Amino acid sequence: MKISDLVSDDAAYVSRKAWTDQRVYELEKKGIFAKAWLFLGHESQIKKPGDFVQAYMCETPIILARGEDNKIYANINSCSHRGLPVCRADHGNTKRFLCPYHNWSYKVDGSLVAIPQEKMLKTKPDKSLLGLKSVPRVESWRGMIFGCFDESVEPLESYLGDMRFYLDAFFERFNSGIEFIGAPHRWTINANWKLPMENQLGDVNHGPFLHSAVIPAEANEEIFAVGLSAVPKPGHGATFRLMPEGTPDAQIAWGMEGMGAILGGPEIEEYLFEIQAKSAERVGDIRSRMKGLTYGVYPNLSFLWSNTSFKVSHPRGPNKVEYWSWGVVPADAPDAIKKVLRTNYSSFFGPGGILEQEDSEAWMQQYIGSNIDFADDKPYFYGLGLGEEKAHSELPGMVSVTANEYYARAFFTRWRTALEAVADPSELIACSN
Amino acid sequence: MSSRLERQYAVEQFYFNEARLLDGRQYRQWLSLVCETISYVMPARVNALVDNRQRGEESMIAIENELEDGNSMGCPIREESYAHLFVRVDRAYKINSWADNPPARTRRIIGNIEVLKDTDKSLSVSSNFHLFFARPGSDNFIYSGQRNDQLLVVNDGFKIAAREVIMDYANIDVPTLGLIF
Repeated sequence: MKISDLVSDDAAYVSRKAWTDQRVYELEKKGIFAKAWLFLGHESQIKKPGDFVQAYMCETPIILARGEDNKIYANINSCSHRGLPVCRADHGNTKRFLCPYHNWSYKVDGSLVAIPQEKMLKTKPDKSLLGLKSVPRVESWRGMIFGCFDESVEPLESYLGDMRFYLDAFFERFNSGIEFIGAPHRWTINANWKLPMENQLGDVNHGPFLHSAVIPAEANEEIFAVGLSAVPKPGHGATFRLMPEGTPDAQIAWGMEGMGAILGGPEIEEYLFEIQAKSAERVGDIRSRMKGLTYGVYPNLSFLWSNTSFKVSHPRGPNKVEYWSWGVVPADAPDAIKKVLRTNYSSFFGPGGILEQEDSEAWMQQYIGSNIDFADDKPYFYGLGLGEEKAHSELPGMVSVTANEYYARAFFTRWRTALEAVADPSELIACSN
Repeated sequence: MSSRLERQYAVEQFYFNEARLLDGRQYRQWLSLVCETISYVMPARVNALVDNRQRGEESMIAIENELEDGNSMGCPIREESYAHLFVRVDRAYKINSWADNPPARTRRIIGNIEVLKDTDKSLSVSSNFHLFFARPGSDNFIYSGQRNDQLLVVNDGFKIAAREVIMDYANIDVPTLGLIF
């Protein structure tokens, strides 16, 4: 099988090998993770000079930090001397990162400040050349910090393109933006990184089935009635319910569908209704009627609207993913309200979540199904709603009902193009039949 | 007030019975051991930055430094009420709770049961657990952790008024932390 055979031209078929093959994974690193903007963290996590958090770009460990000059830096967490990680904590505030092996020490911006051995030597190494390897491009938008290993990548804002329209329906609802609360929950799952991504990119279609033990039928009826799937740019996606004009705020308000709000009482309701009441003024009429579901930003960032969480699917080989998720709350909410709203996330999602235990099991079983022999002539069907997506008069991108799998076809078309760009065209992927 | 030995025996029997109900998938019976005002929290566990000013002190490597618990402004893995536990129990008996169809086999050993504080009306109890978890179609896993409970004294024994579950993970490499521990 050639690289171009992994995804059919109309993307209605995706090979099992796309999920399991080691060579395909290597091409993903080269063609996607070396070239795309990858999410690193949120500015609310590194407010003060010296604040840092760990991040990953694919399998490469990154330190994201605010330097003494108040600028944001992203560096590879590996000493220039022998390669050990110089930062061992998940997050914190420090003046120096110290390599444990020989105590080379670095500022949080990655510059090398001390080589203890040099005082015994005549020739002093040029420390300006021996800082941590920096991520060449780091940009933020709405507090979301991304990094890219490709110096010539397009600016972050144009990379996000019209996905910003949908992200702003959330971000711009809040006076002071949002805050990532606590360290990410880091969960290793025996699955390929693309499936958690696909799951949030547009696949709300599994909800009524995989999650029917917990999600009430009415919630799904609303999705059938007013749910939309938008693809502002191939690889990005947003699903939401566009509530009809005149829908009461209580039926649209962000946060009301989470367990925290359901159990939270009148104080929480009042807080959330007030945000909704101001939303038309802040984000315009159509976006004030958006009641989001799930979002995805190419290649591996996801967002859940109601169970408010950002997630990153960090590959660990074709057969493993380190799935990171953060609870997200309005930055200016009182602490007591933040504590309630964080449970909108953790009740249903994350490693202890009531819903996501079903997802992670499905993702693991999909890897097992993809890795079997003698079925490589039976690629997966991605053709639901083929060609039924259309431009929309008020919403950017291609728009369809949620059952349309255009979001995934667009992702895999972009994915195939990215792999073809770095593969030898004659290169073959071994198949069992 | 009963003697310390009798109290210790009663608490141990309560936990052994609880473990038997959970491993026997008798979750509804388990729920009857729980106060309707229960707080059930599993703090998140992070790799904390060592504070140089605490060098030489026990506080430098205190477990509390690693926990994002219910009182913190971090994000615990679980912060649940009776309603959450009710949903979990209810889910267990539905045919479409796919991660548990077929259900996992579990076996837990509860040990190091220590009554830390005992008034007539309530007790603070710490216990440890190892839990073997075998999910069909997947692998076998071991969960290890500590439970810090507040038990309420009731006529026929105890009820769980609060439980904090401290998991010993460095990386979460189990299929779910959504079990009842």
